[in-house]
Amino acid sequence: MHPTENLAAYALGALEGPEGISVETHVATCATCGSLVEQYRAVVSTLPMGLDPVAPPPEAWAAIRAEARRRRSPVREWAGTGMRPRWRRAMWPVLTTLVASLLVWNVMLQRELTRRAPGPAPGPEVEALSRRPGRIVILQGTGKPGASARIFVAVDGGGHLAVSGLASLPPDRTYQLWFVRSGAFPVSGATFRADGYGRAWAKVTVPPSLDDVRSIVVTEEPAQGSGAPTGTHLLEATAWR
Amino acid sequence: MQVGDESALEVLYGRYGGLIFTLALRIVGDPELAREVLQDTFLRCWDGRDAYDSARGRVPGWLMGIARNRAIDLLRSRPHQARLREREPPVGLASEPVQPDAADSIMLRRAVVSALRGLPIAQRQAIELAYYGGHTQVEIARELGEPLGTIKSRTRQAMELLRDVLWPLIEPRREA
Repeated sequence: MHPTENLAAYALGALEGPEGISVETHVATCATCGSLVEQYRAVVSTLPMGLDPVAPPPEAWAAIRAEARRRRSPVREWAGTGMRPRWRRAMWPVLTTLVASLLVWNVMLQRELTRRAPGPAPGPEVEALSRRPGRIVILQGTGKPGASARIFVAVDGGGHLAVSGLASLPPDRTYQLWFVRSGAFPVSGATFRADGYGRAWAKVTVPPSLDDVRSIVVTEEPAQGSGAPTGTHLLEATAWR
Repeated sequence: MQVGDESALEVLYGRYGGLIFTLALRIVGDPELAREVLQDTFLRCWDGRDAYDSARGRVPGWLMGIARNRAIDLLRSRPHQARLREREPPVGLASEPVQPDAADSIMLRRAVVSALRGLPIAQRQAIELAYYGGHTQVEIARELGEPLGTIKSRTRQAMELLRDVLWPLIEPRREA
């Protein structure tokens, strides 16, 4: 059944948490509703045009440009130039070993977190999910050094997320997991909060197809969750295939 | 911009900076905070540029979403509430001309103004409370003393009317 009555409010970002997540889940798998929400969102983005325009202060752009320059990482500088440092090619064997080690470490961490987690006990559900065939994706703390996460994605759908190293958030904020797709809106996989130890566990809604997913990210969002990522990428997995 | 091209950021700023500042000012009601929202929006866009797909014309919606969320976060923050209580009535906020728009943007702007004016007041109110006030449907129903179903219907009817008028103008721009 299509959530027709809620799609407009969803596009406006005016639905409460569980209702919003429910609509979001439906929209991710329903082409009809997805198309309508896309049109609504495009319309919503034009609403500010209905206001009397006010020019920003002239010095605003200079401040933005200066900060953008400061933030540009050396990695970005290589992009588009066709140049790659030679050592990057030699790094692949090392990276492969590192990833394998991380996988082992993450499985051990998962068991430990499952055993010690003070929050909602995943217990049997995680055990059952982990026994299904699937793969583990590791997210690095690109925007939050020291943090990491891994997602177990079962081949027949569903998954779960275990996180460590994230800060505890105020009540009006939440963390949100996103599947960023090529040529389509990002899809939310979960919202979650970290405990006092910086750990979190959450069930993940995995998109029906991962073929067009080009990265998986975690951002900080308002408590009710967002329709699209608006915060900095705190955790990220890009070369995850 | 996905390869870190600063000139692309400048183009985006030239195209949408005024609109984002206008939106932020409408939500937070304070030029200093609106400027903060403007800066945050473009820097978040810059930091997260890998996630954008400008070829599909979604950048404006994405930028407006970032700006709106940031502005509403500020609106709800305690320091901002205190600041608004202490603040003198705003001065010097008269509308100023922004950079000249392309012809199709002017046409779209006129259509948006006209479409919003054409909405029944109750429907426009539902849209404005949701979009500029950051209220949920439940909060709007409570604030207006109306049933939740009524608010949802008004919101949907308003969005349908706006879509009928605006989508035919928006779609060619996205495909261009």
